[in-house]
Amino acid sequence: MAKTEQKKASDQGGEAIATVQGAAAVGQPFPDETKCLRRAGTLLAISNLLWILQAALIAAALGALLNATSGLSELPSETTSFWWLPLSSGFGIIAVALLRVLLQNRASNIARKTAREVQTRARATLLGAAIASSPAASFPASGAFAAHVADQIDLLGPYYRNFAPQSVRLKIVPIVIVLTTAIFSWLAALILLICGPLIPVFMALVGTRAKAASAAQQEELTRLGGTLLDRIRGLETLTLFGALQRTKDEIATAGERFRVGTMRVLKIAFLSSTVLELFSALGIAFCAVYVGFSLLGDIRVGTWSGALSFPVGLFVLLLAPEFFAPLRAFAAAYHDRSAGLAALEKLEALLNEIRSDEQVAGNWKATPTDTELSESLPGFSKPPSIEFVGVSLSLAGRAVFKDLDQEIRPGETVFLNGESGCGKTTLLDCVLGFHVPDKGEVRIDGCCGQDMFFRLRQNVMWLGQSPRLFHGSLKANLLMAAEKASCVQDDEIWAALRLAGADGLARRLPRGLETPLGEDGFGLSVGEIRRVALARAAMRKNATILLADEPTAGLDEDTAQDVIRGLQQLATCRTTLIATHDPAVLKMSGRQLDLYTLREGSAREIAE
Amino acid sequence: MSLVWQFVLSQYRHDRLHFWLGVLVALLPAAAGILLLGVSGWFITAAAIAGLMGVFLNIFVPSAIIRALAIARTAGRYGERVLTHDATFRFLTGLRNQLFAAYADRGAKGGRSGLLLNRLTVDITMLDAVYLRLVVPLALAFFVAIALLAVWISISATLFLMGLVFLIAWTGLFWFAYARADRKTARRADAASDAMRLRAADLAAGRKDLAVYGGLEEAVNGVLIADQRLFHAEDVEDRRVDRLNGISLFIGQTFLAVALLVSVWGAISGLMSVPLAAGLVLVVIALPEILGQPLLGLVRLPRTMLAIRRSLITTVDGPQETVRLANGRERETSGPENAVLRFVDVSFRYPGAKRNVVEKLSMQIDPAEIVAIAGRSGCGKSTIAALASRLRLPDEGRIFLDGKDLTLLDEHSLRRSVTVLSQRPYIFNDTIAANLRIADAQASDAELWSALEKAALAERILQNPNGLQTVLGEGGLGLSGGECRRLALARALLTKPDLFILDEMTEGLDVRTANDVLTRFLEFRGESAVLMIAHKQLELNAADRVLQLPQQPARQYAHPA
Repeated sequence: MAKTEQKKASDQGGEAIATVQGAAAVGQPFPDETKCLRRAGTLLAISNLLWILQAALIAAALGALLNATSGLSELPSETTSFWWLPLSSGFGIIAVALLRVLLQNRASNIARKTAREVQTRARATLLGAAIASSPAASFPASGAFAAHVADQIDLLGPYYRNFAPQSVRLKIVPIVIVLTTAIFSWLAALILLICGPLIPVFMALVGTRAKAASAAQQEELTRLGGTLLDRIRGLETLTLFGALQRTKDEIATAGERFRVGTMRVLKIAFLSSTVLELFSALGIAFCAVYVGFSLLGDIRVGTWSGALSFPVGLFVLLLAPEFFAPLRAFAAAYHDRSAGLAALEKLEALLNEIRSDEQVAGNWKATPTDTELSESLPGFSKPPSIEFVGVSLSLAGRAVFKDLDQEIRPGETVFLNGESGCGKTTLLDCVLGFHVPDKGEVRIDGCCGQDMFFRLRQNVMWLGQSPRLFHGSLKANLLMAAEKASCVQDDEIWAALRLAGADGLARRLPRGLETPLGEDGFGLSVGEIRRVALARAAMRKNATILLADEPTAGLDEDTAQDVIRGLQQLATCRTTLIATHDPAVLKMSGRQLDLYTLREGSAREIAE
Repeated sequence: MSLVWQFVLSQYRHDRLHFWLGVLVALLPAAAGILLLGVSGWFITAAAIAGLMGVFLNIFVPSAIIRALAIARTAGRYGERVLTHDATFRFLTGLRNQLFAAYADRGAKGGRSGLLLNRLTVDITMLDAVYLRLVVPLALAFFVAIALLAVWISISATLFLMGLVFLIAWTGLFWFAYARADRKTARRADAASDAMRLRAADLAAGRKDLAVYGGLEEAVNGVLIADQRLFHAEDVEDRRVDRLNGISLFIGQTFLAVALLVSVWGAISGLMSVPLAAGLVLVVIALPEILGQPLLGLVRLPRTMLAIRRSLITTVDGPQETVRLANGRERETSGPENAVLRFVDVSFRYPGAKRNVVEKLSMQIDPAEIVAIAGRSGCGKSTIAALASRLRLPDEGRIFLDGKDLTLLDEHSLRRSVTVLSQRPYIFNDTIAANLRIADAQASDAELWSALEKAALAERILQNPNGLQTVLGEGGLGLSGGECRRLALARALLTKPDLFILDEMTEGLDVRTANDVLTRFLEFRGESAVLMIAHKQLELNAADRVLQLPQQPARQYAHPA
């Protein structure tokens, strides 16, 4: 118990830890940032309260005017002393206005900067978590992840920037105004006090309904988005079956449902702001009527002593709207809060999802622990050996390997086969360091450890089962594998493409090497993506290990032959592991390993 | 400007009545708000004078007016909001349907589904700002300004001049906000936001590839760099907003100070009564809230304009292909009657490509014949399927379906005569029944079951308690690759076309499943002819005739240096 509390405390205190491990809740401000936001709110409140000064100046000037015209003092137009007060009031108002503008700007700047820092840190936390979990671990859908990184974190902005300062303002301004009013008239202060606190009560009543309706509407929006995306993706199928018109009608119905739902939510939201408006308007009206009657002499109560004078009455009336203004601003910012809190919840859930696959995450490290890699590690200047020493690994409670012992000699070519699901990909992932065995070791030239695997990943030609190409030109994608991207000639790129049987494909692209590739290698088929990925692997000419996972899946026979020729060329003078069950690939020279039997602990080797 | 104007006009034409009604109703609370303060100021001053002088003042009428104004302001506010929002959402819902229809008619090309979705949801949502934040506030400010000027001139020319100066100052500020709108920064912010999203998606989907090739840390940095770019662009925008709001606030307060002095002077020199002077000062206090409103919409205008441009481009670009269809070159509509499908010297080139992917292709398929098209990938096999199903139009040559020119066929009869089974059938996130009824909306449950039976999927579906009502796709029943193909087969078998087009139907299936799916298809295809895009021996064996497409030798086209 005490231990967990201690841990909590250290989590809250340790900022650095929070950034690296995201131990503190994602998207939450640090204590000093909370202080900044509070300061912004205070500045905003001060700027707001300066109105009291301006109101006093107005009341004083108009009071002097009334005095002058009602003949209680000498005729004003002849005395310069009369003009002294209105003129200084006018300039005073302008001077205070300048100060108010400056304070407001300052408050807005502070709040904005602070909110941005929180947002950027939340992004860094999410992305950090994404690379802190092993690439072989399960991961949320890329679209959902991107939406969280971009949109959900965007929603935190208004929450911190707007809502936080406004809530501070709400705590300060109304109280000061009521107290100021109370100095002159307790009854006016009472009117404000009654109208003010009633607002939250009514708004809470309306608000609970609004919240439920708003949540339902959010779901409706998600559903509409989902339906739209689904139909857009399947548009070709719909066109081919002549079902377009029906789909258009369906979309129209969904849109209509969304519209009606939105209006329902808005009507409730408007109702709550109407309650607020009503009380604020009535509060002002009651104040005006009270002050008027009091000045007439019809009402004698409400003040501490004597009757209300005109300047004081006017002053009280001028303060009334500012009592309600923070309440209205707060209500307007309230939905920033709900959106922000909902986003925080979603971010938390995503982070937990990313971190949940701990079993696979294991001791995976994206970057070496020691920046200066120790000298004893293999240099990968010549093909290394790969050894599996008593490797046991279980994933999701299922044992994939048990005491696997196997050695791949330097420069040897080995084919992994066996039916799907027997762990071919997992074995390759072990060589890449994506999986850390529960027991035993994977040794490269006799070395192991995360730093070694990091070095290995910089020195391997790897072709994954479902390779991913990235946003950017074809050339940029290929250069990702090159050691020094700036010194690569186009000729080398074409050579790599030729080797992968992808040169014809590259020529057909509208802008050749400069053609931009998009989501999932936009415009390329699965087979084409695989060939480009092979070309990418071939760009890493100094690599001494070749790992390929089902390199010919989804290719027609002729293209597969091209790819096999390329693989053959790449496999010479490299330690090579190819997972495949394509008989055409198996015709290459090399040793076959049936993983299905290996898994059971007894290696059955098929003669070369 | 023309874009915004065009957009406002289209909303105006959509529903003129509600367009004006929204503006008119918005005037009510604005006027009530101004009068509430004005009358209050007048009332208490008059009361103070009456109290001092001991003269009679009718107090019940003004106090009743004050309360009435308070209620009018509140009720008017509610009515205005409901009315303007309703009008806007009706228009935007219509616009969304239009956009979707335009996109659908243009034809399904490419996988930019995420982008389009953004247009249909995020962009459309942004467009409500045009009416709600620009049109209504500007109209409101205009009418209020006119009314005020009329009142002021009826009292004193000095008052009028003073008011005019400050109204012009506000107009100048609006003009500045509009004319000097920072479109570049808006575009930069937009691009940074897009880049962040794309890079984050790339990072999430390609972690293995990045670990080996690009570097995971570098990918994270890439996203954070986009975040910083977004930060800077938004900072520039926000500072501008703050500056403009500050200026607006300052104009309002200076106006108040000057109005105070002018009113005092007016009352002293006998141009107006003291209560009126006090009322006028208080009116000026209420003005910034109403006159400053358009600024909120104006400073966000660059973003709004980007959204307008994107959505209008979708609608404007839309119908091109359709136009090309309708203009179908004047030719005789009939060709050789005996063939189901006939290509005559057909050439096709992808937009922007350097060479034709299909070159002077002529072929024909007779009734009930199975023709396979074979060739290396990239030789245009799939393009032929797209041409035969009119997803693409040939650049040269003609295609006849049942003797009729394909470009002149109406959509309905074309889709009834041709059924395509593709290598990546799309399974909708909907019930099994809905997925199947895409092919035939009128099909009975019995027909659906029979189709599932033929595709050997009925048993699998029966295992599920919801049967045909089982929801597929995300969050629903997950079908394996082979099962998806079987579902697509069942869907296709609900149609009775003259021609089936099989676009690598068995691609990615293991041999046993591929064999079974193909056999079942051939068994149940009926009398229909089949155009089969194939590269597997299995498929080639099933064909009556194989058309081998030549791979164009590489030296034929220029080396793109």
